[in-house]
Amino acid sequence: MTALLALLLAPLFSGTVKWLKARLTHRQGPSPLMEYRNLAKLWRKVWVVPHPTTPLFLLGPIMALLGTLGALALLPVLPGLAFRGDFLLALYLLGLGRFFQMLAALDAGSSFGAQGSYREGVVTVLAEPGTLMALAGAVLLGEGFSLSGLPQLGVENSLVLLLALASLALALLAEGARMPVNDPTTHLELTMIHEAQVLDHSGPLLALYELAGSLKMLFYAGLMALLLPGSKPLVFLGVVGAWVLALAYLETYGVKLRYLRLPDFLSYNTLFGVLALLGAIWRF
Amino acid sequence: MSPLWTFLPLGLAVVSAGTPWRFRGLSLSLGLAGLAWVALGGMGWALGWGAPFLYLLLLGALTLGLAPYLPAYLAHHPREAHLYSLLVPLFLASMAGVALTSPGFGFLFLWEGMALLGYFLVALEGPSALVGGRAFFLASRLSGAGLYLAFLGHGHLGADWVWAGLLLGFGVKAALFPFHAWLPQAHPVAISPVSALLSGAMTKLGLLGLYQSQYWFGPPPPWVGWALVLLGLLGAVYALVRGLGEEDLKGALAYSSVENLGLMLSALGAYFLKPMPLLLGAFFLQQVAHALFKGLLFLGAGALEERRISQLGGLFRKAPGLGALALWGMVAGAGLPPGPVFLAEWQLYQGFLQGPFLMPLAAGALALVGALALYFYVRLFGLAFLGLPRGEAGVYWAPGMRLGLGLLAALLLLLALGPGLLLGPLGLGTYPNGLLLALLGVLAGALYRGLARLPKRLYGTWDCGFQPLTPRMQPNALGFAEPALRLFPFLRLRVGEHPRLEEPLAEVYAGVGRAYSRLAALVQTLQSGSLHLYLLLQLLTLVVVLGVVLL
Repeated sequence: MTALLALLLAPLFSGTVKWLKARLTHRQGPSPLMEYRNLAKLWRKVWVVPHPTTPLFLLGPIMALLGTLGALALLPVLPGLAFRGDFLLALYLLGLGRFFQMLAALDAGSSFGAQGSYREGVVTVLAEPGTLMALAGAVLLGEGFSLSGLPQLGVENSLVLLLALASLALALLAEGARMPVNDPTTHLELTMIHEAQVLDHSGPLLALYELAGSLKMLFYAGLMALLLPGSKPLVFLGVVGAWVLALAYLETYGVKLRYLRLPDFLSYNTLFGVLALLGAIWRF
Repeated sequence: MSPLWTFLPLGLAVVSAGTPWRFRGLSLSLGLAGLAWVALGGMGWALGWGAPFLYLLLLGALTLGLAPYLPAYLAHHPREAHLYSLLVPLFLASMAGVALTSPGFGFLFLWEGMALLGYFLVALEGPSALVGGRAFFLASRLSGAGLYLAFLGHGHLGADWVWAGLLLGFGVKAALFPFHAWLPQAHPVAISPVSALLSGAMTKLGLLGLYQSQYWFGPPPPWVGWALVLLGLLGAVYALVRGLGEEDLKGALAYSSVENLGLMLSALGAYFLKPMPLLLGAFFLQQVAHALFKGLLFLGAGALEERRISQLGGLFRKAPGLGALALWGMVAGAGLPPGPVFLAEWQLYQGFLQGPFLMPLAAGALALVGALALYFYVRLFGLAFLGLPRGEAGVYWAPGMRLGLGLLAALLLLLALGPGLLLGPLGLGTYPNGLLLALLGVLAGALYRGLARLPKRLYGTWDCGFQPLTPRMQPNALGFAEPALRLFPFLRLRVGEHPRLEEPLAEVYAGVGRAYSRLAALVQTLQSGSLHLYLLLQLLTLVVVLGVVLL
């Protein structure tokens, strides 16, 4: 259920961010609905098969989309599946998508694809432990070891949950390949992370990748919504709206970090994670 | 009924080793023994007869994979083939024997016999294997020393000493950090089927020994549990990072074994501290899953004529079947759903998070291991199987080898579809992983077919329009790992014309080795050949012994 909602919402989300960014720089900008048309256009296009590729080239976008959708399906924003340890499966399904995306980037034998691939790997190594610890801290305070039993922000648990929210926000920026980790508008190959990996994918394959990229950000927004009090679907829409504003402002007024400075930036994520987990153990 | 009858088929291989029918005999005997072990082990585990039967099941599954593979492999690599067809069945028998024996003289005898056979199997490969073989031999001696301390000291020394001996004795075999260094030296130099046995089966005996020791020698003191958790996780992270910089494909696989063993050791340590069935589930499931996927990958590496990653590339197009099987093995190895290793880690996470004191923080280390494993296996598969070929290396891929790999891959799939087969006797269950696997398979298949039908056009890879891409423009084995290696200070990366990776820990080992050699030289002065000195020593010994006895 959540996956379907997110699937419908994803193009609107990225379209609105693009529109707002254009408005902030006094350009007219594409309509927020433009992304739907863009995806439809990409789907109709002839796609290019680079010479050295294998079935992995095609599996990359497919698994990236399926992994992200699978993770979203486990979010109880709308009523859905719930079982013990579902948050671990959700994070690892994202990992499954990432694995195939990184492999597909290596498949065409391009040096850009490989660069994007190992950079994505480094971002994962830096961001993953903190995110998992922060989420685990929140889950420990809740019931049933599941996303459906997550606690909601209140007075007693405010410290742990605020840390978890901060960590998830950093994770969204890192895993969604947004500023200041990666500049989604650049096409200078040497600085790209996400775009370098999808450089050789065109037409419908690119459409799947773009969809998967927006969905990944909605996944983290959904996780944040679960930690906030209120009716889940409404809070989710609110969080997504807040992220549209945040991303547009961040990417208009912010700058991309130098790639070598990433460990400093993402070490905050690890720190938040460790503190959230410690807070959950000692109940402070 | 004694389980010894399951060893009988191996006699067939031993009898036929010298005859022209040795390959057929080997295939038949391994197949029969494998089936017998799987049947007996599966029955024993289902009926709750204990961990040794799970080990038998694991060994049987590997033996089944080897039955068609080994003869086909040896036919292509005729060097010492008759010795391998004699020693491999003996080695298998010694491992099964160790698993089924209770502690005592017989156990030590079989343990040392197994170590000796393992050493021969490594060193048979020729002069290039001597260093690895020596590392294996030294590790076996260290392991033996620990076991003698524990077995002889039981009842005389305190539990702390006994368990220190057990940690050393079984820990060295299970590549417990910092005694793991022998494994990546010894396992890759052997021929691939032997590497599969060493990594897949022999190391698990260390784990089995540690697990059984709580029944043999009484419950471990708490420090043993903490040591296992900490050293296991440390070893897992260290091995993955070191393995990221490994140029040799089989060497990298050996480092991945150290990582998996580290996770299993930490699961066992957490179980010692707080006995939760979840942790046992993680411990046992990962053992079987690791044996299967590592067997699959090592046997797959045996089909390649080149092991240096910097000379590989584009293998998927040369051998799509091998590529698909290796991909399945690596998805499982990277600990991703829906592979069975993920199910084990899924349980381990939950166990850690419910653990005592600061144990939940171990979940962070486990997440780091997961992210590194992803990077690690992307590098292995991406550089070896995808992209443009960096060299001319071929693939030797006989029907028997295909069958062996296919069997192991099918067993791994079975484990992913029905982890309950293994976890049921422990009273555990998981989420419906088979359903997830089926769903992912069906959806991916449908999308794949749909996309492949859409109009497409063949063209070159994007090269910026300046000059065509060459294979050397792809990152090499060390280049792909460089950004991650920079993050970890315990390795030194020297970049330049001849980039290389330096391991400060190796210098520590070398220092210990030098100190030991000096000590040995000092002791050797006693062995002067002078009769007078020997008589004096005898007299002194007599006096000391009499003194101890009388006073």
